[in-house]
Amino acid sequence: MSQVNRLRQGGRIDRARTLSFTFNGKRYQGHAGDTLASALLANGVDLVNRSFKYSRPRGIVAAGAEEPNALVQLGSTEAAQVPNVRATQQALFEGLTAQSTNGWPNVQRDVMSLVGKLGGRFMPPGFYYKTFMAPASMWMTYEKYIRKGAGLGRSPMENDPDSYDHLNQHCDLLVVGAGPTGLAAALTAARAGARVILCDEQEEMGGSLLDSRELLDDRPAAQWAEQVISELAENDNVTLLPRTTANGYHDHHFVTLHERRTEHLGETAPTIDGVRPTRSRMHRVRAGQVLLATGAHERPLVYGNNDVPGNLVAGAVSTYIRRYGVVPGNKLVLSVSNDHAYRAALDWDEAGREVVAIVDARRNPDGELVEQARARGIRIIEGAAVLEAKGDKRVSGARVATIDAAAFKVTGQAELLECDTIASSGGYSPVIHLASHTGARPTWDDEILGFVPSLVKGVHAAGSARGVHDLAGGLADGAAKASEALAALGKSASAIEPPRADAIREGQACALYQVPHEKPTLRAPKQFVDMQNDVTAAAIELATREGFESIEHVKRYTAMGFGTDQGKLGNINGMAIAARCLGKSIPEVGTTVFRPNYTPVTFGAIVGRHCRELFDPERYTALHQWHVENGAEFEDVGQWKRPWYFPKTVNGKQESMDEAVARESLAVRTGVGILDASTLGKIDIQGPDAREFLGRVYTNKWAKLAPGRVRYGLMCKDDGMLMDDGTTSCLGENHFLMTTTTGGAAGVMEWLELWHQTEWPELQVTFTSVTDHWATMTVTGPDARKLLSEITDIDLDREQFKFMDWRNGKVADVPARVFRISFTGELAYEINVQANYAMHVWKTLFEHGKKYDLTPYGTETMHVLRAEKGLIIAGQDTDGSVTPEDLGMFWAIGYDKPFSWIGKRALTRPDTARKDRKQFVGLKPVDPKVVLEEGAHIVVDKDQPIPMDMLGHVTSSYYSPNLESGFALAVIKGGRDRMGETLYVPMPDGQAHEVEVVSPVFIDPKGERQHV
Amino acid sequence: MSDITYGKVATFNTHPDASIPMESPLSVAFNTGSVPAATSGSRVLFKEQAFLGHLILRGGAIVLDEAVRKVLGISLPGQPLGLALDASGERSVQWLSPDEWLVIVPGGEEFELEQRLRDALGDAHYAIVDVSGGQTLVSLEGEKARELLMKSTNYDVHPSRFPVGKAVSVVFGKSSLILRRPSEERYELVLRRSFADYLYRWILDAGAEYAIGVEQ
Repeated sequence: MSQVNRLRQGGRIDRARTLSFTFNGKRYQGHAGDTLASALLANGVDLVNRSFKYSRPRGIVAAGAEEPNALVQLGSTEAAQVPNVRATQQALFEGLTAQSTNGWPNVQRDVMSLVGKLGGRFMPPGFYYKTFMAPASMWMTYEKYIRKGAGLGRSPMENDPDSYDHLNQHCDLLVVGAGPTGLAAALTAARAGARVILCDEQEEMGGSLLDSRELLDDRPAAQWAEQVISELAENDNVTLLPRTTANGYHDHHFVTLHERRTEHLGETAPTIDGVRPTRSRMHRVRAGQVLLATGAHERPLVYGNNDVPGNLVAGAVSTYIRRYGVVPGNKLVLSVSNDHAYRAALDWDEAGREVVAIVDARRNPDGELVEQARARGIRIIEGAAVLEAKGDKRVSGARVATIDAAAFKVTGQAELLECDTIASSGGYSPVIHLASHTGARPTWDDEILGFVPSLVKGVHAAGSARGVHDLAGGLADGAAKASEALAALGKSASAIEPPRADAIREGQACALYQVPHEKPTLRAPKQFVDMQNDVTAAAIELATREGFESIEHVKRYTAMGFGTDQGKLGNINGMAIAARCLGKSIPEVGTTVFRPNYTPVTFGAIVGRHCRELFDPERYTALHQWHVENGAEFEDVGQWKRPWYFPKTVNGKQESMDEAVARESLAVRTGVGILDASTLGKIDIQGPDAREFLGRVYTNKWAKLAPGRVRYGLMCKDDGMLMDDGTTSCLGENHFLMTTTTGGAAGVMEWLELWHQTEWPELQVTFTSVTDHWATMTVTGPDARKLLSEITDIDLDREQFKFMDWRNGKVADVPARVFRISFTGELAYEINVQANYAMHVWKTLFEHGKKYDLTPYGTETMHVLRAEKGLIIAGQDTDGSVTPEDLGMFWAIGYDKPFSWIGKRALTRPDTARKDRKQFVGLKPVDPKVVLEEGAHIVVDKDQPIPMDMLGHVTSSYYSPNLESGFALAVIKGGRDRMGETLYVPMPDGQAHEVEVVSPVFIDPKGERQHV
Repeated sequence: MSDITYGKVATFNTHPDASIPMESPLSVAFNTGSVPAATSGSRVLFKEQAFLGHLILRGGAIVLDEAVRKVLGISLPGQPLGLALDASGERSVQWLSPDEWLVIVPGGEEFELEQRLRDALGDAHYAIVDVSGGQTLVSLEGEKARELLMKSTNYDVHPSRFPVGKAVSVVFGKSSLILRRPSEERYELVLRRSFADYLYRWILDAGAEYAIGVEQ
């Protein structure tokens, strides 16, 4: 099909470059510079979609972000699918492939439209809620089909071939919108030396100047725009962002801009200079001040069948003619409430097509544009409006009559005007979305018949965005507001001298939103308010009758302004209709809240580079590469990658985790094993009051710990509940090294600083994290001493270097601190060396360890071994509700310490002294093959009907190769008095495991092995 | 003797007498990850300065300033976020918090420096902690280095806000690091050992479009 609606000349398209594209399976041609919408209109494609709820045929209505109908699905391949793209915002590129978002089996012949036609009258607001209410459990099922029928585009089912990123930006002034106002503002700020970001959502900067009829300094307005943009581009302090939508205004002038970097070039990012750029980019802007030059959206009038293809807003007609050289029809009826919209008729007339009539709701309009239209002999019908469009898939006529807008009545006989296009204008609504994101409620301005933004500190609106709609006014306002904004930052900027614009005298507009019809609203042909969500004037009237009086309730009941639309075209009309029905004024009814994002943002841009291997930091120890090379399976512990177990290949078969853990556990109990314990948190504590401080944050006593000795400590929150545990070594009289759990390291560090800085600043003590500085290798097992003695100069004699001592010396020639502490219950040495030397020491240990069959083990074996000894893991066996007493650790509580340590007072509360608190015990399954499930509940009577009385739960459970049995740790009400009792652990499948309550220490209760 | 007790605090020389192979926090990345070579088209250059001496100084500025000047020849940065270097540029002192400074010196100097500072500081309350094994210094240069930083941190790195002589702890990707501006043409990053691999991958990814090159 040829471009039947393309003018021979004019517009900002490049006629020398023809581009082919496919829409709903049909090939068309357009030109470089087209949007998909302008190219479709050029080709005479009327029908672009089916409506969301009623499946009515829909065409292109607008030319920008406010387009409600022309939502398309882009992509020629599965991976390239992008849903809900506005055809009006999508630049045309060679090979573009698009489909209507709605419509099944296709947009021309739609099955759902039958439902819409038959059910139309029976689908009032709340239809789905009302109809599919019962049974409630079925709603999920209903919803699946309702959504499929409605259709909202679809996500790709394959991985996105493109990448996306973020860029953090800072500026003195962020200017949103590069129309006349925004350009004047940016120029003012840039010339004053400010850091400026200017963003604009369109393919080309210039806004209304690109299709303006007016001259600036006696030249076409677009030329002035080009000149300003090139000046700004040369300024190092100015960042120009075309194709960039300011989508969200967050707190403290943090604004997210979404830049489409390659979407005008192809459906996936092309390779440019050997690099595939990110497809889109989120600019995270922290602005000193923000100037909103977002312009206005023209309001269509609300009349019968105003959604039939061929109904457009007036300004869009001008845009298509003047910017794209496309006339979207042959015979125009223009229905207006103001002068400004007359441009559409003048442009149409100049394009050589017929203007059937201008229908003006005012009597005796007399502005300059009106005079121009009269001078051309265009018929003007005064005091009238289009009541109703005729036609099905394209407008075929307009029923026009005189009306009394104030009385909401048709006063004259309707006349049928034959036409194929109806353009309407009910006035101009400032685009206040971003200002609304700040939470500021807009205020109604009777003068401009629109809401103007309320502004929080640091936000400025200028030009059309605050109702200054004339060109000269907008230019001056942009410059002045930029100057004010910079003054607020203490910078002086004199407003630029704006170019000279002809003042066009415009008559006063009248207030017209919904056009009256001969029939009452509920019986009149559908008058659409929000076309994207299929909300009609009747729906709003019905909602108010059903008692929804708050505009917020009306919105939710009818879905007006929902979703991607965010009320761009319809909200003000909807409020006006609600006001009429409720007998209130528009300001009394108020407006709903616009929310981010202004237009849809692809998930990729939100995620940026935070995906795949960069999704979350992976922390490695100094020995990580050895673990990888030796086949470790890894466990995530916080952000750390810790070896979980080291499966061996036995007879050509890799061990399972159970097999590896059994082997590793036995090796530690019978020979020697080694663990990379570098992830434990380590805090260097220095100062004359270090010892006193430890006494206050730990529950136990530190006064007498001598240099060279180590002690285990418990740390409680102020509620008396265990928070973290670990050993702390006395390095010198005023010097300690604290260890924390791997996951608790950062939290403990903050905890110490918090108490020092806020409660006890008088204590002379400092804390420094040395977690990453030291690598820690735990050599443990009966052969540990023999192995270590081969490569150290430290005297390992059991009398010289006792359990809970630490010593300095060399290990594998590297200076080391060796701590004789044990988390396995076996003889153990924790070797600490500066991390850069760790690999050498580790490898040397293995060289010498061969004859002892030195076995690397991971966190799983560590868990089994410590559990066999009844040693807790804070965060696994405790959950923030467990006190040291609950754990039976009375030996680690210094109630008689002179200073009241953190948690002490809480431990004297009656609740923490209750006899039936959950206490820490061991569980032995009667069937040794049973390994209980962690988290499983424990009951007395396995036959008690549900809900059963639950005594407690399993906190840790493993199979022990040393015990040749499953075993578990648990917390049980009054557990210490239940030793020897038989209890049950019921499972979801109905069986109940029989268990015996035992001491949590399963191996070596006297601790002889770790003291050898 | 690797361990000397200064009054009531234990110090510790982490370095062996023998020649022992060392592995920097970026060893795994260099050994197993991608290491794009620098070319004439590289608009960002990445270079690690491994195995330097890193000390954390804690204490009041008044207490520390004189000793640092005497021992190191550098005045403590007077302003928050300050970075001061000696004439050679090899030694630096950086403000970290109101009572916390980071001193970076050529590798192996740190233990002697700590002893001399302790001698100079006497009985005052202060702390010196060797963290040399826990972090590493990286430099970024090139015309797109600043843009790479903009992708990575929300801190304002425009020259007007981040001039030479400034150093700041920043969020970087989803981790954090210390960002320093020792000279016009160079940024320095202090990476924590355990996050070094993630940060390296992040930087390479962000630098791909600038043909980032790694100099070893």
